[in-house]
Amino acid sequence: MADIAAPRRAASLAEVTPSLKKRRAAEARFKAYGIAAISVALFFLVALLSTVFYNGASAFQQTSIRLTVDLKQDVIDPQGRNTADAVMTGNVFRWGGLVDEALLSQLGIDPNDELLAADAQKLISGGARIYLRDYVAENLDQIGTKQEIWFLADGVVDAFMKGSISEETEESRRPIKDRQIAMLRQLEEAGALEKKFNTGLFTFGASSRAETAGVGAAMVGSMYMMLVVLALALPIGVAASIYLEEFAPKNRWTDLIEVNINNLAAVPSIVFGILGLAVFINFFGLPRSAALVGGLVLTLMTLPTIIIATRASLKAVPPSIREAALGVGASKMQAVFHHVLPLAMPGILTGTIIGLAQALGETAPLLMIGMVAFIADIPSGPTDPATALPVQIFMWANMAERAFVERTSAAIIVLLGFLLIMNVTAILLRKRFERRW
Amino acid sequence: MGEHIVTSFDDDLIELRARIAEMGGVAETQLSQALDSIERRDSDLAEEVIGKDRRLDALEHEVERLATQIIAKRQPMAKDLRLVVSAMKLSTTLERVGDLAKNIAKRSRALTATSPVRISGSVVRMGRQAQAQLTEALDAYVKTDVDAAIAVWRRDVEIDDAYNALFRETITYMMEDPRTISLGSQLLFIAKNLERIGDHATHIAEMIHYSAKGEAIGPERPKGEADDIGQTV
Amino acid sequence: MKDGDGALMGDTKVSATNVNVYYGEAHAIKDVSVEIGDKAVTAFIGPSGCGKSTFLRCINRMNDTIDICRVTGSILLEGEDINAKSVDPVQLRARVGMVFQKPNPFPKSIYDNVAYGPKIHGMATNKPDLDAIVESCLRKAALWDEVKDRLDKPGTGLSGGQQQRLCIARAIATSPEVLLMDEPCSALDPIATARVEELIDELRDSFAIVIVTHSMQQAARVSQKTAFFHLGVMVEYDDTDKIFTNPSDKRTQDYITGRFG
Repeated sequence: MADIAAPRRAASLAEVTPSLKKRRAAEARFKAYGIAAISVALFFLVALLSTVFYNGASAFQQTSIRLTVDLKQDVIDPQGRNTADAVMTGNVFRWGGLVDEALLSQLGIDPNDELLAADAQKLISGGARIYLRDYVAENLDQIGTKQEIWFLADGVVDAFMKGSISEETEESRRPIKDRQIAMLRQLEEAGALEKKFNTGLFTFGASSRAETAGVGAAMVGSMYMMLVVLALALPIGVAASIYLEEFAPKNRWTDLIEVNINNLAAVPSIVFGILGLAVFINFFGLPRSAALVGGLVLTLMTLPTIIIATRASLKAVPPSIREAALGVGASKMQAVFHHVLPLAMPGILTGTIIGLAQALGETAPLLMIGMVAFIADIPSGPTDPATALPVQIFMWANMAERAFVERTSAAIIVLLGFLLIMNVTAILLRKRFERRW
Repeated sequence: MGEHIVTSFDDDLIELRARIAEMGGVAETQLSQALDSIERRDSDLAEEVIGKDRRLDALEHEVERLATQIIAKRQPMAKDLRLVVSAMKLSTTLERVGDLAKNIAKRSRALTATSPVRISGSVVRMGRQAQAQLTEALDAYVKTDVDAAIAVWRRDVEIDDAYNALFRETITYMMEDPRTISLGSQLLFIAKNLERIGDHATHIAEMIHYSAKGEAIGPERPKGEADDIGQTV
Repeated sequence: MKDGDGALMGDTKVSATNVNVYYGEAHAIKDVSVEIGDKAVTAFIGPSGCGKSTFLRCINRMNDTIDICRVTGSILLEGEDINAKSVDPVQLRARVGMVFQKPNPFPKSIYDNVAYGPKIHGMATNKPDLDAIVESCLRKAALWDEVKDRLDKPGTGLSGGQQQRLCIARAIATSPEVLLMDEPCSALDPIATARVEELIDELRDSFAIVIVTHSMQQAARVSQKTAFFHLGVMVEYDDTDKIFTNPSDKRTQDYITGRFG
């Protein structure tokens, strides 16, 4: 043992030798790189989020105009049946007449001044008559009375009120005329023009009119797809992982399967779209644009993620637990289901939710199976034509109108909100189920 | 011995054996010098023997301490355990041998005060015999020579016989001349002590055997006719 | 191999003859034959990798769970071949309980830990029966007084020594005949170890106990018979008293005196 060389020592503990200086410098440099990397990442994240929020925040408010509408019995339902059916059927344009009448009387415009009346009519959303019809259908007792009702303003008015269109711009180069601006001022003074919370964003489907376009249909479509993914990917993925991890013999075949699963996780998602198109739509003849098919495709895409996460969390359960169970005479299946699986649950749930979140944000494969359709009605089931949140974002991003820009960002905020909720759920579930062993 | 994975364990055992060997050396010298003092009627030498006993006591304590420490720290097993146990017993035995030698030396002081007698020569002869036994036993211990130990063990009968012979001789001597009774009884005690030292040498041999083989040396040890003594009187 | 004196212990409970174990190509256990007595503690000692644990795991067929492991030879539990095709290892393990090196209570309540075995083997049909089993096992494991007020608390919240005694209670809950212990005290402090050893000594009256241990002192303290394994071979099997004072084989001697290598 005598040949262990005595280290060269500094005279005092406080003395800084050159090599120590170098080591300290290296450490300081490394820390600096790390901080720089994180700062860059944070900068981009903040930039992204602030852009999105800056552009999108205004979409959560929508300009509305209050009108006192005379719900005339003879216009609405001349037969006097006063049923929802009677209200919903018949000429849609009679409602427009009621709205126009209320608007003109509010502004004090002579209905015979056709040019002025036409300008005034453009202030109110084209969807106002539909809204009024639906409103009356729900409030049948109000027929024959005068009611104050808030109507959506036109997209251009909304953009003007939010300052996207400047009054400074030359009249001919902006979509809103000076006369219309004057009318808006008049409404504002009367307290009949207000920005209200935009519930329509969450309840409307696709629309070519910005003020009546919302992510409602897309949200429901996404929800159906997530349900399909959850119902299929979780049981299949967990079952496959348990078999592979706990029961399958370790041989060349299982190795091959494992390699393939790992590779599947890295396959570009558009490939799954093509597969879905070929198999589910062309071969099995499932309906196009349906949330069911989208869910199936996303299931295929999510399975590898779930399998990998589940196998990792099964592997992380200490073998001593299995031995303990087997040692008291539990069968292998009892050992797995009574002891191993509960311990692996937080990991499995986390993996599943991350897989779902990934699927929720996926666009490419959905384009392949025709989920880019213009879906105005909220789908009532997984086989109805539907679209998804990211696809909706993709479609709105292609629209030129100023009002759609803010809606695109708003939809992104909604999507981010969902992802945030899912991740928080994952964390909470992990905390809830996590146990010491 | 040796080749423990923990080398300091080896060192401890070697140390223990060295202390036993040293005790053996001291006890042996004591006996030898006690006998010399009888032979040469040298009371100074006798004093020296008596003085040496202290060293032996100190060594005994040292062995005890070492053995206790080895048991506490190393938890010896099998051969090592037997070695430590036998070392403790040996130290006690050797200390007794020392006591006996001291006792002989004390009596030798008494002998120098009177005129020399023929019988003291026989006692010394018997003493040399016992001393040889002790030396051989200790040699066997140092060399861990089981065969030599067995040989010592078998030869104890000779000392027993010599003791018996000497006993009879002294009794006869004292009966012939009652004035020698005081001297004779001193000699008898010395002879008895020597006989005991012989027994202790045998015990050392037994310990060597136990330490090496883990079992007692054999069935009954051959005995002298000690039982006859009572009848002779 | 010598047979110890039969007077010390009961009848033979487990009888192994020419047991060989292979891990793939590796020959882990070579021709081991041993008779394990009832109502006695048998200790297996030997250096790491000598096969003592592997052999122990043959007795309740825990090696079955390892794909590449192959066992030949016969192991009889009360005359029945445990490796016979008709024997289900699940059935066997109820009769041959096992306690592992690291305390490994289930992450469930103390009660559920003990009740699990009886539940899956259908040994108790109603709650009072199960309660009785749990209490008696915890009492036997000398743990009842420490945990009776917190049976619904997780078993993992106990101290290491308590956890190991809980594992022993769990193992004896299926009323096994043989109790295998694979280095049960290696993760425990000396006081906890002493408690477990005391427990082993008490359990000896009811079970045939086989204990694998790295601590020779422990083997010496708790066992009546000791087997020394080296390189997959059982070198010596004899009364513990004999093994630790005067072993017959030089390899045993060298191992227990700390001269191995």
